[in-house]
Order: sequence, then structure tokens, then C-alpha cells
Amino acid sequence: MAESLSYTEKLKKWNRFEVEKFSKKAPVTTPYPFIDIEKPPEYRGIPHINPEKCIGCGACVNACPPDALILEWDKKRGVKRLTFNAARCIRCHRCVEVCPTGAMEPTNIFEIATDNKEDLVEVVEHKLAYCEECGEYLDFTERQIEYVKAILPKEIIDMYALEDRIGLTQEAKMRKTVEKLRETEGNAYPAFILVKKGGEE
Amino acid sequence: MVTTRDLEAHFEFECRACENGHCRKADVETILSERKGLKEFYEAFKEHIKECKRMTYGQYMFVIDREVLPEAVLWWHNHPEFKETHLSTAVGTDERPLNGKFVYMPFLNVQVEPQNMDENYWVFLKAYMPADDPSFPSVAAKLPAALWIEREVKDLLGFNPVGHPDPRRLILPEDWPEGVYPLRKDMDYRHSPMAEVKTEFKEKPEGTTLVPMGPVHMGIEEPAHFRLFVKGEEIVDVDYRGFYSHRGIEKTGEGRLTYNQVLFLAERICGICGYQHSVSYAMAVERLADVEIPDRARYIRTLMLELERIHNHLLWVGIAAHLVGYDTGFMHAWRIREPVMWLVERLTGNRKQYGMNIVGGVRRDILDYRKEEILKVVKQIREETKKFIDIALNTNTFIKRAEGVGILPYKIAKAYSVLGPTARASGRRIDTRLDQATKTAMAYNEVDFKVPVYKEGDVLARVLVRMDELFESLWIVEQLIDQMPGGDIMVPIGDLPEYEEALGFTEAHRGEVVHYVMTGEKNKVYRWKVRAPTYNNLPAVPEMLKGYHVADAPLIIASIDPCYSCTERVQFVDVETGKVKVLTEAEFNELSIKYRGVF
Repeated sequence: MAESLSYTEKLKKWNRFEVEKFSKKAPVTTPYPFIDIEKPPEYRGIPHINPEKCIGCGACVNACPPDALILEWDKKRGVKRLTFNAARCIRCHRCVEVCPTGAMEPTNIFEIATDNKEDLVEVVEHKLAYCEECGEYLDFTERQIEYVKAILPKEIIDMYALEDRIGLTQEAKMRKTVEKLRETEGNAYPAFILVKKGGEE
Repeated sequence: MVTTRDLEAHFEFECRACENGHCRKADVETILSERKGLKEFYEAFKEHIKECKRMTYGQYMFVIDREVLPEAVLWWHNHPEFKETHLSTAVGTDERPLNGKFVYMPFLNVQVEPQNMDENYWVFLKAYMPADDPSFPSVAAKLPAALWIEREVKDLLGFNPVGHPDPRRLILPEDWPEGVYPLRKDMDYRHSPMAEVKTEFKEKPEGTTLVPMGPVHMGIEEPAHFRLFVKGEEIVDVDYRGFYSHRGIEKTGEGRLTYNQVLFLAERICGICGYQHSVSYAMAVERLADVEIPDRARYIRTLMLELERIHNHLLWVGIAAHLVGYDTGFMHAWRIREPVMWLVERLTGNRKQYGMNIVGGVRRDILDYRKEEILKVVKQIREETKKFIDIALNTNTFIKRAEGVGILPYKIAKAYSVLGPTARASGRRIDTRLDQATKTAMAYNEVDFKVPVYKEGDVLARVLVRMDELFESLWIVEQLIDQMPGGDIMVPIGDLPEYEEALGFTEAHRGEVVHYVMTGEKNKVYRWKVRAPTYNNLPAVPEMLKGYHVADAPLIIASIDPCYSCTERVQFVDVETGKVKVLTEAEFNELSIKYRGVF
């Protein structure tokens, strides 16, 4: 959508002589859609994803009532795809509210008439984090991990331990815990139970 | 060492209702002594009542045998002391996944004392039915208010109302196969079967001529098919076939969306009274979670509800003027209305479908500088409307067409449970804003206003009721702006209790809107039932039409301010993969049958 102009935008580019005639003859009637019309600043138009700020967490997808936002994983390519379809959007701005990074940007564009449906779709692809131990992709994106590191309070969290584990899959994490406990206690059985319960929570 | 059991106990859901002292399972004696009339009812039906329960503040449920349902409903409806008590609607639920039974539950709005929200209450009469024989004795022969309700549960859930005087199909389309019931839990919401078209119209009475009106109403441009049986010019009998805009909203909301997502779907039930639906739904969920929302949120909600009422009444009076042939009035009414729409757009972000609500409060605050703007618009509307009413009520075109036309007597209005301005024009003194405990979600208990009541029951009375109400609404808005408290605008809700029920309600500009919500597991909605006011008002229209001329019919029908898409609720849209494929004719037919009614 960012690249191609919407239908009404294209219309505005047409050079129509009526525009001038209108404004002289009819003081109330406006030659819309050949000119812009006034919108209040509070108007909720279709939102737009800012790919630079988006971290691919999917908070907007959970909040979206009409499924205008969809999240898909492609583990083969290591990509998480966030798709926004303006044709399904009901302009409630729930996504704008819940976005943790402000990547969902509100606009006051309401004209989405178009001769090509693809103009209405925005796609943002994120690289998934890669677990070196298992050789698999995680469910999280690289940016999500960066974001977690940035917002966690450094005074409380042991950052070295975090660095050690944050890029691992669930199984690799569990395996690592078991190994560590086995080293310290020398008995695998109670440690295994502890880990399993921790995993369930 | 911490065990899993300890952890489970720690994370177990704590009932907030019990913490706040409104436990749902208090003992019978305490519950019965809370409100007037409950004990009397319990004594009268003692051997048939299995359980009684306080669902939430001012909502009581009796689990009774299905055999005595008609007597129990009539006991409440015709109670000599509680004069304005009416059968609100009924809910049918498929509870087979829970306990192997079906449920049919009529509920009544009991009015102990008019306009006293701490005395009046709702009574739910829950009757369980075995899965192999879902039938219950019909009350419709004695109480016409139940006519549509019982036909609806027959269509959507396959219950059998034994002894129903008119068991034709009401909601489902003519080509829907027999024996497929969309609201049963074993049916997928995407399934849309098709069968032979079968129409069931009422037989034409002897010596009359049929004048079909519809399927699209000429004034309000919405689908509804009236079949007028006329003798000369006079209407003798009327048949109605509607529900052409049945969209499956309830089914979509159940189990697929989270409780906050359903809110936005609820707002889209109607293009006119959307915010009323949204508030009603939010109220039901807040009652279930037993949270009190902040005062400022209550005030903002009330403000938006009243602004909506103002522009809706102006819209309606414009349409009424148009239908009587007084088009100048139509133009002026809509011109006066427009500044309200602009104001609302500035306050919420949209002209209609405000998206202002969230369960637990509102989303946008009313900033202080906006108050000036609201007061300015209110003042302008008051002056212009006064002038407009003055002119309109002195115009013969308007008066001659509206006076003495479409009379609905009090008795019929009560028997059909007619609601809102239509009921108030027939002398029923009801207004849910004050009658029932709206104080948990709205601030009507803290403002002063009158409820206009007229006794004539004709179209003119309905115009006058609405115009009086409009001025009261303007007065309410001014008070709200004056008294607006500070503070938060929302509270978090947290987890909902499982399999509990509650009701949310508001007074839309057409009458009481009712949203019944039953929660399921994991904060989803198990059953969601919406009853818009037109659902109760529309069955009474044939009674209003009888004896008048064909030319008056459009006006009489429009005089209840019908909203078909509200009444008929229920279409779903399915996200398909974007693949393009050339289909053969057979494939195309198959697909079109599969997705008929979906797109």
C-alpha cells in the first residue's frame, strides 16, 4: 500500500476543470473526490505497520477482533510473517493500543477504494531466532529477544545467565537445566521431576 | 519443596463475587428475603423448584420443572401488584457438552416499583430438558409475547414448543434443510447446507385481496416482507416474513472470539444503536467478573449513550416526516442532527461505531476542552429542535397523517411486551434506565430526568414521546458534563468464572436492549444471546395495522422505529487462503452450496 496510490489518491491527480467551476458556483457542495476533505485529528483511520519498529510479537494479532492481522510461521525459511489486510479492518485501533513498541501507527486515511486488492495488504517479515544447540528456529524473532533484553531491569536479572539461555529452544533449556543440576547434585532423579514441573507452569 | 498441588492451589481462580460479599450460592432463605415477590413465587411453586440462585446484583434464577413453565411465566407476567412486569425474552442453550441436557430459559423484567432500580429485578426461569426429548409446553397461546421467542428456539436449536399456535419457520431461510440446528454445539459455524425452497405463508382470509409490501421497506430501506390482506382499502390481517439479514453473529461470538473481541462484534449488530449493544455486552461481562468500573467511565458511557439517543431520535423524526410526505421536515431534522455526528466523531474517533468501550471501562477520555464544545452543540440542538417541533406540529400534512393512526392499546402493548417509546406512547410506564440496576455500568442513578408517558397510543403520541425524550437527553448531557468526576477510565477484568451467567441491559432509543452472556472455559463465551427492542415491538405491528388503510401502513411500520438487522442479528466471514484456481462448473456449484450465505 505504501508504494501504490489508492484509487481516490489517483483521482486527485486528475486535472479536472470542474474543480474551479464548483468552488465558484456552489459554495457548499465540494467536488470530492477530486479534492481532499477535512478530517478531524481524532478520526480513526486504517492503521499502518512501521516495519522499523515492529518486533513481531503478535500482540496486535491477539487483540484484533476481525482477524485483519494474521501471524504465520515459516520455520523452513526461518521467517515469521505479519500480514495486515486493510479490507478486513474495522478501524477500532485496538492494535494501536496494545502495540508495545508503537509500531502500529494510526492514520486518518479512510479512502481504501482501489482497483487492485493487493494494494490493501501490508506484509512484514521477521527473521526468527536460531538455536545453535538444536539447529532449529525458535518461535520468537531476533528482534523480540533484543527487546526482552532491553526492557528487563539489569539490577535484578543475571544478564550472563540470560544471554546463555534466551536463544535456546524449550527442550534445549530443559536439557541444560538437567545437566547443570546433575553436575551440582550428582543425582539425576529428583532434578528431573523439578524440571518437569517447572516446564508445566 | 514446592509441589505442583501447592502451585495449583496458588493459581486457582478466586471468585471475586464471594470476596465482594455477593456469593452466587448463598442459602435459599437469604436470597428469597432480598426482594419482594421472590418468597411468594417460591411458596406457589415449591414442589417444582429445584434450585434458586442469585446470579448477580438484582438477577435471580429459579431452576424449575419444564411442565410448569407456562404457569410460572404467567404468574409473573400477570402479577396484580407488579403491573409493568413483562416477559423480556428467552434463551435456549445446548448444554449437552456440560451435563447432557438442553436448557430453555425465559426471563422477565419484574417491576416492583416503577423507576426504583434497587427494588426491581430480573427473574430467570431455567428449565432443563433431556437430550432425546427437547420439548416444553408453550405459553404463546396465552401470552403473545412468547410467539417469536418460541419459534426462534424451534428454528435454531430444534426445541419443540408443544401447543404453539403458529409453529412456522421464523428465522432460518426458506431453503434451509429440516433437522439442522445452527446453534447446537455439534454444528460448525462454517457449515451452511441447502435444501429445496419451501415457503410457508399465512392463508389468505376469505374475501380479501393480498397486497405484498416488501421484501424491502420503502421508507427505511431494510428488508422485511409484510403481506397485507385488504378488504377494499382496509387492512384485515397481516402476515410477516423477515429475518432476511440473519447473520449468525451469536454463533460467531461463541467460542471463537475472546470476550474483548466480542465487544466489537456486538457494536456492529446495529448501525444506529451500536453503542447501546456494546455497553450492554460490556455490562454483562463486568457483572460476571463482579468488578466495579470507575465513576468517570460510567459518566462517559452515559454521555455517549445520550448523545446517541439524541441523534437517533432526530433521525427517526426525519424519516417519519419523509413518510408522511413532509420532506421539508425530513431535510431539517437531518440538518439539525449533523452537528451531533461531528461532535461524536471528535469525541470518539468515528461518527458511528464509536469503538469507545472495553470490558471494564472506556478507551478514550473526555478532555476538558471538549466540554465547551459539547455544551455548545447541546445548546444549538435545543434551540433548533424547538423551532423544528413548533413548525412540524403546526403542519397539517404531518398532524393529519399521524393523529389517530396505528393505535396500540395498553392491553395489547403489555401482552406483546412492547418496549421503549412505542410502549410509553401506549401508557406503559417503563424505562430500563431507571427501572433496573443500570448503576454498575452507567450513571443514570445520579442524574435527574423525567420519563415522558402518553396514553393515546397513536403515531403522533410516539412522535411526542420521542421529542420529549430528546429534550430530557439534552438535559442529562448538561448534568453529566457538570458533574463529571475525575479518576481512572478503566479497570482490568482478569479471569472470568466458568459457566456462570449474567445479563447486561440498556435502554436504547427503541426500548430495552438485553445481552445474556454465559461464560465458558478459558475466558471464552459459551452462549451469547442478544435481544434488540424491535424483536419485541415488531410482532405487535400487525395489531397496529389492522383496521387502517394501506397508505398508512409504511408510516405505522416505521413508527416503532424498526431495525431489522438488530432484530435478526446473526453471517460470518471466513478467511480462506488466497489461492486462485480455475473451477469447473461442478466444483463451483459445490463451493457455492458450501459457502452459500457466507459471502
